[in-house]
Amino acid sequence: MKRWLPLLATLLLAAACTGSTQYSDALPVIYPDYIGVTVPAGIAPLNFNLPPDYDRVFVRVAGSNGGKLKTRGRWADFPIRAWHKLTAQNAGGTLTFTVLGRKDGRWTQFRNFVLYVSDTPLDDYGITYRKMAPGYTTYSRIGIYQRDIHTFHEEPIIESTLTPGQCMGCHTANATDPSQFMFHLRGKHGATLVQQDGRREWLTTKTDSTIGNVAYTYWHPDGRWFAGSINPVRQCFWTGDQRTIEVFDLASDVVVMDMEDHSLIVDPRFTTKDYLETSPAFSPDGKTLYFCKARAFEVPRYVDSIRYDLVCASFDAENGTLGDIETVIPASQAGKSVSFPRPSYDGRWLMYNLADFSVFPIDHKEADLWLMDLSTGETRPIDEVNSPFSESFHNWSSNSRWFLFSSRRDDGLYVQVYLASIDADGHCTKPFVLPQKNPWKYYHNTLYSFNVPDFTKAKVDFRTRGTYEAVFSDERIQATVK
Amino acid sequence: MYHYAKMGSRQKRLPILTLLLGTATFAFWMWLYPQDLSYQEQNQLFLFTGSYLFERLSLPGGLADWLSEFLVQFFYWRWAGALIMASMAMLLQRAVWRMGRTNYLVSFIPSLLLLIYMGDVEVLLSYPVALLLSVQLCPLFLHARWHRIWLIPLGWWLIGPMILLPILLSVMAMSSIKAKQRLVSRSASIFPASGRTYQSSVASKGLTELPILLWTAIVFFFGARLFASQYPLRDALFGLNYYRLVETLPALQWIIPAATLLCILACNLPVRYRHPALAGTMMALLLAVGTFFGVRATYDRDTHETLAYDWLIRHERYTDVLRRAEKYQPQNPVSACSVNFCLFTQGQLETRLTDFYQCGTQGLVLPSIRDNMSDITSAELLWMMGMPNITLQYAFDLQESIQNGRKSGRFMQKIAACNIVNGWYERAIRYLDILEHSLFYRKWARGQKALIQDEARVAADPVYAWIRNVRFQDDFITNYNTLDLMMAILYNQNKNNFMAAQYYEAWQRLKQMEDKE
Repeated sequence: MKRWLPLLATLLLAAACTGSTQYSDALPVIYPDYIGVTVPAGIAPLNFNLPPDYDRVFVRVAGSNGGKLKTRGRWADFPIRAWHKLTAQNAGGTLTFTVLGRKDGRWTQFRNFVLYVSDTPLDDYGITYRKMAPGYTTYSRIGIYQRDIHTFHEEPIIESTLTPGQCMGCHTANATDPSQFMFHLRGKHGATLVQQDGRREWLTTKTDSTIGNVAYTYWHPDGRWFAGSINPVRQCFWTGDQRTIEVFDLASDVVVMDMEDHSLIVDPRFTTKDYLETSPAFSPDGKTLYFCKARAFEVPRYVDSIRYDLVCASFDAENGTLGDIETVIPASQAGKSVSFPRPSYDGRWLMYNLADFSVFPIDHKEADLWLMDLSTGETRPIDEVNSPFSESFHNWSSNSRWFLFSSRRDDGLYVQVYLASIDADGHCTKPFVLPQKNPWKYYHNTLYSFNVPDFTKAKVDFRTRGTYEAVFSDERIQATVK
Repeated sequence: MYHYAKMGSRQKRLPILTLLLGTATFAFWMWLYPQDLSYQEQNQLFLFTGSYLFERLSLPGGLADWLSEFLVQFFYWRWAGALIMASMAMLLQRAVWRMGRTNYLVSFIPSLLLLIYMGDVEVLLSYPVALLLSVQLCPLFLHARWHRIWLIPLGWWLIGPMILLPILLSVMAMSSIKAKQRLVSRSASIFPASGRTYQSSVASKGLTELPILLWTAIVFFFGARLFASQYPLRDALFGLNYYRLVETLPALQWIIPAATLLCILACNLPVRYRHPALAGTMMALLLAVGTFFGVRATYDRDTHETLAYDWLIRHERYTDVLRRAEKYQPQNPVSACSVNFCLFTQGQLETRLTDFYQCGTQGLVLPSIRDNMSDITSAELLWMMGMPNITLQYAFDLQESIQNGRKSGRFMQKIAACNIVNGWYERAIRYLDILEHSLFYRKWARGQKALIQDEARVAADPVYAWIRNVRFQDDFITNYNTLDLMMAILYNQNKNNFMAAQYYEAWQRLKQMEDKE
C-alpha cells in the first residue's frame, strides 16, 4: 500500500490543481506564522494550521537543493525523519511551500512561500523552561520542563506536585551545560538546589547580612562561582485596560556565591539601600560582571519612576573580588530601563531588554530586545524580532549563533518561546515560535506560559527520587559570608 | 440454616430499605447540603475532549477521576447532584450486599460512612467512585485466577490504590477456603455463602496468596515510582485523586475501604438471631444514630454555612442568605462579606449593617486570599462596582488556588468576562473555546463568542456597558488599603454608581467601629 501513497498524493494534488481548485494570489494565513522564517537543519517539523474554516490542508515542500515532502490532513503535520532529511539537504538553501486548503468543499491554492534553512547549526539538545499560568499571585501547577527541539518530546524536570506548596524559581545551567545547574524553591521549605555532575546540594543562601535567598542567578564560566540577586518581589495591579500587573522589588542586592566553601561575597557597593541591584550575568571570560542598577523609590507609589541602567564591574575569579562599578548603558537618562543582560558565549554581543521602567519587562507591552556590540559598544533594537507586544527573557545557544526569547505577541498574555539566528554582523532573522505537533491546538488550549527559557546542550538528568524528602527535611547547607 | 431459610422473605424487603437509603441520601444533598454539590462543581471543569480524557488517564486512578468529574459536572443542577449521590449510595450498598447476602444491614455501613466522610468538602467524588468500582470488581477478582497478573496493574491504573480491596478480599477468600479444605471444618470458613460459588475457581489453579500480595506490592511501589514520579511516594501510594488538598491524608480515607472489606466479610458470616426483628431494628437504629452523630461531627457548621451563602449568592437568592444569617451567622470575614453584599442588594446596607456580624472593613471587601473560596463574593461585588481588574485578579487566583490543579467553569467565566470588558478579545476567546467543550458553560461561551465579533453589541451589552461606564477613567495602581478612596473616585466619576457610594459609607462606619475597638 505504501508504494501507492505517492501516486495517490500526486493524483490528489493533480485533482486539486484542476477543475474546482481556485488560485489565490494571497499568502496562506497559517498558524504559527512561519512564512519567511529561518530555521536550523534538524529542528522539529514546522507543522502549521490553516484557519478553522479550512477542514483539510495539502502541503508540498520543495527544497532548493533538492528533496520533496508532502503532507495532508486537518493540519500540516510533517513526518519527523523526512523533515530532518529535507532540512539537512537544504542547509543554506530554501524550502518552498505550496499550500492548498479546502473550505466549504472547495480547494484553494495559495501563493507559495519560502522558509530559509540556515547553514549555521543548532546542535543543542533542546530548551528548558518553566511553565506556569500567566497571572497573579497564585499558581496551582508550576514546573520546569525540558523539550527536545528536534522532536516534539517534552518531559518534566520537576513539577510542583512533587514539592507541594513551594513555588519554583528559574532553572539556571552553566552556559547551557546541564551538568551544572540550579533552581530555587520559594516557600516554607524554600531552598536553592545546586546539582553539579549529578551531586546535589540544598542550600540556604539567606544570611544575617543579606535580605533574603538568592533568586536570579548566573554561573561564572569556571563553575566555582555564581552571581545572584536577592529580590523580595511584590506585585501590584493597574486599574486601566492597557495593563494589569506591575512586578517590582521592595529591595534588591547582588551577591556572588563561592560554591567551594558555600560562602557569599557581600560587597557593600552592590548591596546599597538607596539603589536596587539585580539581574547579574558574567561575561564569557568571567572577568566582568554585568548587572542592572536603579535608584530606589517608594513602592508601589513611585514604581514607574524606577529605571535601571546597565552597569558592570570587573571580577577576579582567583580571589573573588569585585572592581568598581561602571555604567555601560545609562538608560535611565533616556527615560528607559534595562533588564536581563545576557552576553553571548562567544563574547561578541550582549542582548538585553529595554522598557519604559521596571526590571520585569514581561508585563510591559513596550519592552523590546536590544543588542549591544561588545566590540564597539553600539546598541540597537532588534527590529527583526521585536513586536508590538512584550519581548522579555532571552538566552543564547551554546554556539551563540541562535537565541531564544519569550514573547506575548500571540494574544498579549500567554508567553511563547521564539527562536532566531544571528549572523556574524549581528543581523537577525525572522523568529519562529517553538514548533508543536498541532500548534493551534497546543498553543490555543494551553493555560500555561513559557517562562525563563534557555538552551540546554544535552538532556538534563534530574532524578526526582529523594527530592520530596530532601525538600521537606529542611536539611540545608547554610551559606556563610566571606 | 436459619438465615438461608429466611432469605426469601428478607430479599423482598431489601429494595425498600435500599430505596429508603437512596431517598434519605437524596434528601440530604438536595435540601440539607446542596452547597457542597455546588462547591464540588465549581472546583472542576469537565471537558468533552480526547486530550482531557488522555490527561486524566495518564495518571494512576485516572478512570475513576475522569468518571467522577463527568458526574460532578451535573452537580450544576442540584437535583441531578443529589440523584447521583443517592444512586451511588444505593449502588454501593447493593454491591456490598451481593458479596455475601447474609447480614443485610451491615451492607449499609460503607454508604453511611461515605456520607459522613463527604462532610469534608475536599473529598473528591473519585473516592466514592473508586470505592464503588472496587467493590463491583470483587467477584471478578475472586474468579480471576492467573488473570490477576494483569488485572492488578490494570485495576491500579484505572481506579488507583482502592483496587487493594478486591485484591485483599480474593486473598482472604483463598486463605479461608484453603483452611476449610485443610480442616474439613465448615466453621473454619469465613466464606460459607460464597464458598459454594468461589471455591472451585479460587482454590484451584491460579496465583496463591503470597505471590498475589508480592505482585501487588511490586505494582504499587514501582508503578508509583515510574508513572507518578512527580508526586511524593506517599500520595502515589494512597491515591492521587481522592482528596483535593495536597499533603493531607484523612484517616477515613483508609478506614472506609477497610470497613468495607470487613462489611463484605460480615455479609458472609452466618448469623442467627433469637429475635431477628428486634436485632434488625436495633441495628438499624444504631446505624441511624451513628450516622447522625458522624455527620454532626464531620460537617463543620461554619464551613457549610459559608458555602451555603456562596451557593445562594450564585443563584441570586440574596434574601435567603439574610434569612439564614438572621438565625445563625458564622463569625468569619467571608460570611460577613457575603451578608453585607446581600444587604446591599436589598438596599439595607446602611440600615441593617450592625444587625449582623462584622469584622471591620475586610468583612466588606476581602483582601486577596490564596484559597479557592474566600474571595468569590468580593470578586463579584467589585465587578459590579466597576473594578474589573481586581475581579480578574481575584477570579484568576481563585481558580489557581484549587489545590489539585483543576480549572473551574465558574471562575473561568468570570475571567473571560473581565477580558471582554477590557477589550482583550483574543485572550477571552482562549477561555471561551475551553468553556465551549463543557456541557453547562457551552451555551454561555458561544453567546459570548458571537457577542465579541461585533464591538457594537459588546458596547450595548447591559453588563459590559455598565462596567465600562463606571470603571476608573485613569490608570493607576490599586491598593487594598486605599479601597475606600477608590470607591470614592468611582462615585465621583459617575454619580449613578450608588454601589460605590454605599460601600464607601459602610467602609467608613466599619473603620470607625474598628478604631473604637
